[in-house]
Amino acid sequence: MTEPIKRPFLFRRHLNKLRWLSLGLVFAMLVVLPFLSVYQTYVAAHAYDLLPPSDKKLYDIMETLSSPFVDDPATDLDAIKGTTWSGTFFGYKISDPLAVVGQTAAGLTVYWPFVLSALVPVLLTLALGRFFCGWICPATFLYELNTNLAAWLRKAGFRLGHLHFDRRLKYLVLALGVVLSAVTGSVLVAAIYPPAIIGREIYYAVALGGFGAGAVFFVMTLLFDLLVAQRGFCRYLCPGGALYSLLGRYRPLRIRRVVEDCNDCVKCNAVCEFGLDPMRDDFGQECNNCSACIAVCPTDALVFTIHIKDLPDQGAGHLGRHYRKVHEAEALRQETG
Amino acid sequence: MMRRRGFLQQITVGGGVLAAGMLPYGLARLLAPPVKADPHTHLRPPGALEGDAAFVDACIGCGLCAEVCPPRCIRFYGREGGDRVNTPYIDPEVKACILCNKCMEVCPTEALTERPRDEIDMGIAQIDRAACYPWVDRGICGACVSICPLGDRAISFEMWNQYRPIVKQACVGCGLCVEVCPEPSLPIRVVERSQGTVVQHSI
Repeated sequence: MTEPIKRPFLFRRHLNKLRWLSLGLVFAMLVVLPFLSVYQTYVAAHAYDLLPPSDKKLYDIMETLSSPFVDDPATDLDAIKGTTWSGTFFGYKISDPLAVVGQTAAGLTVYWPFVLSALVPVLLTLALGRFFCGWICPATFLYELNTNLAAWLRKAGFRLGHLHFDRRLKYLVLALGVVLSAVTGSVLVAAIYPPAIIGREIYYAVALGGFGAGAVFFVMTLLFDLLVAQRGFCRYLCPGGALYSLLGRYRPLRIRRVVEDCNDCVKCNAVCEFGLDPMRDDFGQECNNCSACIAVCPTDALVFTIHIKDLPDQGAGHLGRHYRKVHEAEALRQETG
Repeated sequence: MMRRRGFLQQITVGGGVLAAGMLPYGLARLLAPPVKADPHTHLRPPGALEGDAAFVDACIGCGLCAEVCPPRCIRFYGREGGDRVNTPYIDPEVKACILCNKCMEVCPTEALTERPRDEIDMGIAQIDRAACYPWVDRGICGACVSICPLGDRAISFEMWNQYRPIVKQACVGCGLCVEVCPEPSLPIRVVERSQGTVVQHSI
């Protein structure tokens, strides 16, 4: 029986849990909001007596949940509406930058009120990088669960696909999507962008009585991730991820490896959802600051820093076997020679 | 010789990358077979841009209009909509618009632009006088007149018969009359403004 290693509490090591909390909250919100919408309909219609028993139960539950907070559910519950694609948040309209890009391309006109609704997300992305992908995106919630499923299946002996493609493919998808949107005149990127699909389909399923066409596409992407390339859609194909990567290229907040503390254990590379190479200081514009590598690092060698560029490859970690071997040989040579 | 081979290789790789980039759109297209939607009874939500192409351009398919709609009358084209997929419509036979303006207020793009209630133009109600109960002397009704949110500026009774409804030009086409009409063949429906307020039967 070995004693567990006692380490001081480091906040950054627990950011990954906070991230899961954030992802879970966003997803839960996307599920609750359609139910709220249905409930508000009942309130507006004053037709409780006409409801079938199952709907009466829904009405009662939502009334119990919301009555401590609001007096007039029909209007007061409108404070938060929508999805991550586009929504209103206490009167402020917030839209996905990809929605703005797609809609501007489709209409070939710039509608400033809509463009400005993406201002806050764009500014945050400029500062924090592709954080939407790691911290908010409702599809990430399902994709990461899918990754865990893949790990279990591998453990159980299934051989799943592990292909690698060129990461720059998604910029082509983004460019094609914008061009095709402009040519066809409808916002095509919305049809293949997983967070938009998730928000929409949950609403369709809850309020309109069934999933639409997007659900099939999303299940296909899940299967693609599971059977062809791990986390493949986000890594290689997602147009929104491409846009966020471009915006976050010179983000000031990035993760850095402290080479003096690194022991070359490669856990960070193994845990990175986007297949990056933190152990060789290769984060790049794809990193979404999700902090999974920070959480897994056994020597706390990964930290957040304020800098607009990654460090060049710092070489082997000083606690690693390779560095020590070279270093000790060097020291020995100096002693003898 | 080598240069030609290199060029061919580049073309092949480029083509492959392009095909892979097209993959999501191809998949989305494959999964959405182009079946013609039936626009006959489908109305766009109030305040929609004029011309359906302009509306499809502007709509990002976020679904906010439906989420704030109190009667929950806004539905969405699915695979049957073709290019109109995920854009909103109202089927007044199922559930009609109550002209509350909430969808226009919440729409992030100019697809639904805010305007006063009288200036909304979703169409105009049209009555088939060969089927409507009072018009064929099969009883008294007046359901459409009593439900109309715009009152007798939009629909009222004929001068000499207290129950024969007549649509006027102030009608904005919300479709509430269609929703309440008790006659199964729906002698009242919402059509484009140019088609007039009375069904023209050709003999």
